[in-house]
Amino acid sequence: MEILEELAQIVRTRPEQLKEQKDKGIKIVGYVGRFVPEELIFASGAQPCLLCRGGQPEPPDAVIPYMLRFMSPYSRSQIGYHLLGIDPVIPLLDLIVVQCSDCHESRLADLFEYFKLPTMRLGVPPDWEKSISRDYYYKGLVRLKRTLEELSGNEISVDRLQESIESLDKVRDLLSKISLLRTTQPPSIGGHDFIHLNHATFYCDPKVLIRKLNDLYEELKKSKSPFSKGTPRILLAGHVVGVGDYVVPKLIEDTGAVIAAEFLDEGVRQCVQHARTEGDLMRNLAETYYLRMTPPSIFQPAWKERIDYMKRLIKDYRIDGVIWYELSFEEIYDLECSIISKEMSQMSIPFLKLESSYEYSREAIGPLTTRVESFIESVKQRRN
Amino acid sequence: MANNVHEDFLRLTGFEEEEMAEYLPEWRKASEKLGLTEEDVRFAVQERLPAHFALELEGIRKLLGCFVKETIDLTKAIEYKRRGTKIVYGILPAILHFYYALKLTAPDKVFVSFPDIFITFVMNSFFHKLAPYLEEAEKTGIPYGCRHCALNKTRYAIRRLGIIPSPDINWIWGFICDEAPKTDEFIQLYHDPEWKTYVTRLPHDQPLGTVEDEVIERVEYLADQMRDGFESVQKEIGIKVPEEKIKEVIEIWQKYAAKVSELGQLMSVDPQPLNAVSGRFFWEGLFTPFNTGIESMEKALDIALREVKERVNKKEGILPQGAPKLLIYSMHPTVPWIAKMFEENGVGIPLSEFFILTKKQLRPSSFEDPYMAAAESWLRTSGMVNPGYQAEQICEKITTHKFDGMVFGLMDFDRWLGSSHRILGRMVEEKTRLPVFYIEGDNWEDRDYSPEALRTRIESICEIMKIRKA
Repeated sequence: MEILEELAQIVRTRPEQLKEQKDKGIKIVGYVGRFVPEELIFASGAQPCLLCRGGQPEPPDAVIPYMLRFMSPYSRSQIGYHLLGIDPVIPLLDLIVVQCSDCHESRLADLFEYFKLPTMRLGVPPDWEKSISRDYYYKGLVRLKRTLEELSGNEISVDRLQESIESLDKVRDLLSKISLLRTTQPPSIGGHDFIHLNHATFYCDPKVLIRKLNDLYEELKKSKSPFSKGTPRILLAGHVVGVGDYVVPKLIEDTGAVIAAEFLDEGVRQCVQHARTEGDLMRNLAETYYLRMTPPSIFQPAWKERIDYMKRLIKDYRIDGVIWYELSFEEIYDLECSIISKEMSQMSIPFLKLESSYEYSREAIGPLTTRVESFIESVKQRRN
Repeated sequence: MANNVHEDFLRLTGFEEEEMAEYLPEWRKASEKLGLTEEDVRFAVQERLPAHFALELEGIRKLLGCFVKETIDLTKAIEYKRRGTKIVYGILPAILHFYYALKLTAPDKVFVSFPDIFITFVMNSFFHKLAPYLEEAEKTGIPYGCRHCALNKTRYAIRRLGIIPSPDINWIWGFICDEAPKTDEFIQLYHDPEWKTYVTRLPHDQPLGTVEDEVIERVEYLADQMRDGFESVQKEIGIKVPEEKIKEVIEIWQKYAAKVSELGQLMSVDPQPLNAVSGRFFWEGLFTPFNTGIESMEKALDIALREVKERVNKKEGILPQGAPKLLIYSMHPTVPWIAKMFEENGVGIPLSEFFILTKKQLRPSSFEDPYMAAAESWLRTSGMVNPGYQAEQICEKITTHKFDGMVFGLMDFDRWLGSSHRILGRMVEEKTRLPVFYIEGDNWEDRDYSPEALRTRIESICEIMKIRKA
């Protein structure tokens, strides 16, 4: 699909584009995490850039002299590339906004600050059912708005914010529609491409993006599926598939399955809910981001609701098996995995846990391939 | 013979002869419930306790006895619950004022405990036998490979094994790590639907160097969270605590804290009068509520203070005068050989950073309101705040107690407390120009880091320190 390649090209050349924009005086704002609303960054006239890299072992290792090694390789990667001197984006950033919903993110923020990078923390209390926690997050967004206004010199007016919300909602709508095409068997787009597509949406100008997503949607509706009718349908679940961390999704689809749906907390757009564009827009944003989307694993309570959501995905997307993609030492996801595994067993849904420290050498890929192949084979047999 | 080893154990842990009739059968019952064999008790009596604790001191024996009594009491929690006593659990670290205030208000109607702490401490420090609990958790949903915390595994395992009952309410604090509160959600969904919890959290979102107790908005938020949590707990168990009770507890706590600080001062005298492991349990009284009360801990502390002062006056030390001494981030008696290995190599690690208080911590609160006072106190505590502020506090402690350097690490299991040590070490080294060391390890349990594995590291640190001090 040409459009996917065009989008991939935009992602690849994003650092150069950011550099050009910075040279023109536009502020560049990096951010970590799904609770940092891009809407606010766009509305301030700054350019957002999601920090979400992963998939290579060297960057997390570069952080070990500064952090406990039993920390998430994903979090460590967000500064690891910079420490290795191979991150073209971080030196360009005028501000890095880090959501602090868990220890891994907060320690990442510590390191950004330790290395004198311009950092702002956005506190996200995990005890989300309380009004004081909701208010805490809202106040954090208000502080973020003020910081962005000071940084960019632009007021985030109601009109600008409304425009920004509407624009990103269109992106979410289109992604949702494309994702829903995967409810058919065989689907016209697989998860490997869909995750790439999701990633691309974080690095494109929304106007360009909306046009391209529209075109892609129309094309996919008509196109023939690259998968065969009997292809087993997999739900890929876990914390995150970072930008560049494509070995496992590709392996799953190369092995004869299709990722028909994802259930990931980070690195994908949460498309289900939109912020209302009437009334107090800041309150609306806070409510949408904090309360109305599926809670991430760190929230408490979260797991029961997340299991219910998974069950809906399994039903709606006619899932044959679940692959849990876990990053090493992510202790909360490790606990959740046991709960989900038990639930899947009760539902007689095949379940495979894959753990990664981004070590994808030839020696590591061999056993990984065998595990995925065996799992897909068993899912196929069950399906037949 | 069988009776003797248990009697010996109780005598060794400070029980008086007149207490034997009451406690011996209770201890036998408790030890059986905990899975301790006579061989295990014999090992404690003949090897573990004499090797690591200054049993010649009555204060230390009594201190150990407080933990034994509390553990016996904990194993009776199922009976308490059956009789209608409300069961309230918590997890470490938490401000224990609220738990004690419940106990002061309704001593016979409520049972308070941080159960994993007592089991972990007693089973590993006394018997070196925590592993069966950890393995139980590991084979039933909390995998070995992810380096989960031993406390969380233990809490889950002792519920699974029926050693403790479901709580009426478990007020869990996620002011530090994420894993502890989420473990309770895990227990409830995976094993025990009756495991009722109330969670209180505080995001780690303060910039490096922020003096968090002076950020009024933060103090207020934390105070609101504590008030909200405590009110929910009271509502759940139907016990109303007057605010005066919290104030009363704060006074009791401050009195105890002042005495522990005095012990801290004595421990840092040259020559070091007491080995590090012996007195360490006293600090637990600052953070962990005893259902049996703090009074017996305080009595033991009074005796220990008197005895240690005598040693100081006589200039008796466990190390030669002038021996180098290092501040350690946290020394746990659960892996007592670490401190012993330092001491055997001529270097003292008399105090744990995490537990000694700064001048500001000992200062009375700026607030009348007990929740604001508790919140302020929490945000003055080094382990609870951002590494920039924490480093400042560590430097003060190093100066106050005249340490020659510092040891970080041994906290691999904690994604909050353990994850900042590398940059903390750099900050402290930059400010003090003193040597700072890092040891990878786990001070709750030593299945992965045996003495053989750490010996070279510890011996090297000691050699460096001795050369520097020579």
